Amino acid sequence: MDTFVTNRMPPASPEFARSTAIVGIGETDYGADYAASRAKSPGYTAPTPEDLAARAFERALSDCGLERKDIDGLSTSFLFGGPAPDEMARRLDIEPSYLTEGEGILAGTLPMVCADIAAGRCNTVAMVYAVASRSMGVQFGGNAYKAAPAVPSSYYYHHPWGWSSQAAHWALIARYYHETYGTTDADLGAVALQLRRNAIEAPNAVMQAPLTLETYLDTRFIVRPLRLLDMCIVNDGAVCLIISRADRARDLPHAPVLVAGWGEAKIKHDKLDGLVRGRLRPQLQDAGRQALQMAGLQLSDIAHFEGYDPASIHLINQLEGYGFVEPGEGLAFFQSGQAAVGGSLPVNMAGGMMSGSYMHGWNLVAEIAKQLRHAAGSRQISNVKTSLFSLAQTDQVHPIIFERGA
Amino acid sequence: MILAQRRPDRTLGPGHDTFWQWCGQDELRLPRCRTCLHLAWPVVQECDLCKSTDFTWERLSGRAHVVSWCSFEKDYYAGILPLPWDTLLVELEEGPLFISNPHECGVDIMKVGMRLKVAFIDCEDQAGSFRLPVFEIE
Repeated sequence: MDTFVTNRMPPASPEFARSTAIVGIGETDYGADYAASRAKSPGYTAPTPEDLAARAFERALSDCGLERKDIDGLSTSFLFGGPAPDEMARRLDIEPSYLTEGEGILAGTLPMVCADIAAGRCNTVAMVYAVASRSMGVQFGGNAYKAAPAVPSSYYYHHPWGWSSQAAHWALIARYYHETYGTTDADLGAVALQLRRNAIEAPNAVMQAPLTLETYLDTRFIVRPLRLLDMCIVNDGAVCLIISRADRARDLPHAPVLVAGWGEAKIKHDKLDGLVRGRLRPQLQDAGRQALQMAGLQLSDIAHFEGYDPASIHLINQLEGYGFVEPGEGLAFFQSGQAAVGGSLPVNMAGGMMSGSYMHGWNLVAEIAKQLRHAAGSRQISNVKTSLFSLAQTDQVHPIIFERGA
Repeated sequence: MILAQRRPDRTLGPGHDTFWQWCGQDELRLPRCRTCLHLAWPVVQECDLCKSTDFTWERLSGRAHVVSWCSFEKDYYAGILPLPWDTLLVELEEGPLFISNPHECGVDIMKVGMRLKVAFIDCEDQAGSFRLPVFEIE
């Protein structure tokens, strides 16, 4: 078996549109696992990434109604280490002819798997992702970040000035945003409040306690002007998505979730300027246009948005950058309830990564699958047909459009 | 005598060392690509725009204005720096954005567009002592 490395993004070509679909989803017990990791009762052992991935895989397999022998592809994404794809295949007791290793976060990995299925390299791929960020004590700043080929220089280059961390990137944007548009900390709190309300409607979400603006404002700062509750949570977990040819998906129990379009854009130079003042807008516009053109859709066709939310302000960058709202109007959009279920564009319906689960975008796609199956319970968006997923890092964006199939 | 401030480690190596050597003479210099004239920061081994490796180290005016700022309340550096820890994002007069610290003031008085000028302070990291460019109100 050959292992392909998933680092080449396929073109946003209409020939790939709707040729593949998500047919199975499996997730670990985010809320219960988080509680157990904090309680550390006698006998508690921290999960390994492969344990978590195996649990998610079993659930996805059961969900899609296929047999082990039907899974002829495996894609693994272990952000902080895990077994090689062939080892994982043995652990899952499957014998795939197609193996790929993804980069961890859900960026180009899913489009590449879809393009390979469309090209006939395999029929049905189990994509497993797992992180044990919490159990491993992963730190997202300081000397944990060192110069390495895959690490953006903004993660380590400014150490002598005491500037590092994921949070610091978002904090510079938030301050610039407040100064530019005259918004306040309380305005920004609308994002955390809405995502918490969404999480409370999602039984598997980590954060279930109601949140008031007063509580938000009383929470400690991480990097001013951002508070703890402006940041994503840190928890262990896994997601498995089973992707199959769209024509085969029709025979399976759930409505297929078609992969209709994707795009990609990166900041190529002067990254800090593109991030803080540009807020990735040119990249979001470019990649969004690619995805919409591939799918043959307009932005107004998108009825549901799941955006990468390592921090509250970055979700606003994406909402505004794609053009759902004008620059400077993203916080008012949240305050007026337009991002809630029943609003004009419901956002991060299972609480995103800030209140739901920090699964690097995979949880957001799992929520899209539930919404498009019309199986999202009390948080279901009425008759939703088209959803946009957005992965946005500090220097690159990867939108993917999903559509409810017949 | 003012003691050198302890700081987290610099990125060192070819090109990076040149930047710090100029700082040691209280000069802020950045590499300008001789081919496309793009001014690089952080220091790169090849130009982000045209991939040329031919740079000239240009002395900058040291003038800048404020773009943004943030203040660390979480200790990411294992106690090396006092908290809260103020940082600034400035736009150098010659174009690049530069992360630094406010000198002899806090970020609470900052406004976007406020004019600043460079100063150099004594610091040390695990590789030794160095002069660090910081920014004060002009």
